[in-house]
Amino acid sequence: MKTYLGIDVGSISYKFVLIDEKNQVLFWLYKRTEGNPILAIQNGFKELRKFIENHNAEIEIAGIATTGSGRYLAGVIAGADLIKNEITAHAKAISNFVPGAQTVIEIGGQDSKIIILENGVAVDFAMNLICSAGCGAFLDAQSFRLRIPVEKFGELAIKSKEPTTIGSRCSVFAESDMIHKQQIGHKIEDIVAGLCEGLARNYLGGVGRGKKINPPIVFLGGVSENLGMRKAFEKALEQKIIVPSYNTVMGALGAAILIKEMAPLKTKFRGFEISKKDIKCASFQCRGCPNQCEVIEAKIDGKIVARWGDRCAKWSNLNPV
Amino acid sequence: MKPIITFPSWGNYSIALKTLFEKMGLEVIPPEKINSQTILEGAKLSPEMFCFPLKTTLGSYIPALRKGANTIFMVQNAGGSCRQRYYGRIQEKVLKEQGWEINFIDFKTTPKDIYSEFKKISGASFWQIFQAARFFLKELHLIERIEKDAQFLRPREVEKRETDKILDWALLEIDKIGDGKRLLKLKKEILKKLSKIKIAQKKDVLKVGLIGEIYTVCDPTINFEIEKKLGWEGIEVHREMDLTYHLKKAIFPWKDWLIQRKINPYLKSTVGGHGRDAIYEMLNYVKKDFDGVIQLLPAMCMPEVTVRPILEKIHQESGMPFLSLSLDEQVAETGINTRLEAFVDVVKNYHNQRIANKLRICE
Repeated sequence: MKTYLGIDVGSISYKFVLIDEKNQVLFWLYKRTEGNPILAIQNGFKELRKFIENHNAEIEIAGIATTGSGRYLAGVIAGADLIKNEITAHAKAISNFVPGAQTVIEIGGQDSKIIILENGVAVDFAMNLICSAGCGAFLDAQSFRLRIPVEKFGELAIKSKEPTTIGSRCSVFAESDMIHKQQIGHKIEDIVAGLCEGLARNYLGGVGRGKKINPPIVFLGGVSENLGMRKAFEKALEQKIIVPSYNTVMGALGAAILIKEMAPLKTKFRGFEISKKDIKCASFQCRGCPNQCEVIEAKIDGKIVARWGDRCAKWSNLNPV
Repeated sequence: MKPIITFPSWGNYSIALKTLFEKMGLEVIPPEKINSQTILEGAKLSPEMFCFPLKTTLGSYIPALRKGANTIFMVQNAGGSCRQRYYGRIQEKVLKEQGWEINFIDFKTTPKDIYSEFKKISGASFWQIFQAARFFLKELHLIERIEKDAQFLRPREVEKRETDKILDWALLEIDKIGDGKRLLKLKKEILKKLSKIKIAQKKDVLKVGLIGEIYTVCDPTINFEIEKKLGWEGIEVHREMDLTYHLKKAIFPWKDWLIQRKINPYLKSTVGGHGRDAIYEMLNYVKKDFDGVIQLLPAMCMPEVTVRPILEKIHQESGMPFLSLSLDEQVAETGINTRLEAFVDVVKNYHNQRIANKLRICE
């Protein structure tokens, strides 16, 4: 059976999605990278192999695509047939899974984006620029500080009847606002709900500014698991928010659909043995010209498999094909 | 003290600026090309909230100062009237606080001011300065010409990256040359080489306009070689903003009045810098039926931030894809690449949809 694999390596988590030729999801996985994307990808392949051995040994991987901020690294390690940016991947997945959707809100660990769709293709998008206030990483930090597991954060937030106001222009200010509200004795659920509303405001005022936010609106990414954030967006936009299934792995799913449509004759997949091999990534500064690019070098079992990051292609031209 | 000149590094224009001073009989140590190291050094010394070009140019002087330069030329209103006017003052203060004994020359881009400052420092005759300026303009013209040729050739070249190989070679050769006759010969040689690049005829090439703050738009290191990246993706980049454009505006002030007339429905006054020009250029690209516009600005650049909502409005009205990229020292290249790649996809969607619409009308 021919299947296609999409891998999304983000700043905080990594996702694997395996689909068949009818876009049915056979396997999916969402796990934290814990600061080591290489090991994470290797673990992902281990789990995928286990799944294939236990369920259907006839599964054959006919194509791999990678996406997310770690897409180049993941692409080199896995031997990807396609390396695609996460915006196009998300747009692809949504046009297949939520036909007619016009707006996609996606909030991940380090970045948040808005994608405007027309007739199933992306016509406009925006991403947070320098500041990543209001992203998953900040919610993570706050849940750790308040000793509430981040998975419970949303449940707590929707219990609140009177959310307090939390300034959301900057996460440092938001945190000091939260501490202040704690100290004057506000209930914890009111503070958490206030935080969610603040983050939704921040998103709409920053990333979403000047964009035509038309329904149907889809909410994706790790933060879309948070019930409090869903409610905050519904309140701020006065619209129904759709959170489809596979909301957290939609990028990987989109990548898988893209490679399925490309249908490569022969995949460059390095095989499941990759999870046992010794993979090392290092960088050096090229002294060839005043540009002084930082060149990244990936080695598998001591053999150089790829170099990237140079502006003149002096090093990346040496890559074995 | 015998003056040894250095000046702010600015993309490929540094080559022409170097010969300008040499031609006047001055000793020159060119500034270091902008790279991660110079950015780091500049940012360390600069006021934190100041704009990015101040930091990068400051960083570019320092290696030259270490090599013995003692006089810095800095232009006062290269970006129109905005914080750029104070660059010279701030850089002078910062460098003197660091203990550098330097002569900081801060001049305006008016022909009179340029002439008198050059005269004072070099002691050259009027004729010599005139000749130096003439040669500078010729060299500048050649650099801008081959940059423009490369923008056209990149998306069409058959053998990948051939254009850039010739461009890199050409810039190195121009740097070596010091007299008019040899420059003319080299010009012919470069143009011949460029014309020999095999190009794909009848290729449907997408067009994207590059607008925004003059320094970030023109310096390929600062903007992460955006022109090359788009070119390799099969996109023809157009950019009106360059040094000649600015010099022309400094000499013929009525150009501003013409621009103002065109943008009246959107903005009724100046906002400093090249804010008005950005609106004018974007309207122009909409009129010319381009497939997209990218605005580049240093983070928190006041004029560009002010006109951004207007550009967004033009984008909403016309439907033409628009991307605004703020650049600063913290920006990792991955972030820029992701946005650019996604933008290229959006531009392609837009282009294909327009072709489909045209076909439908024909039927």
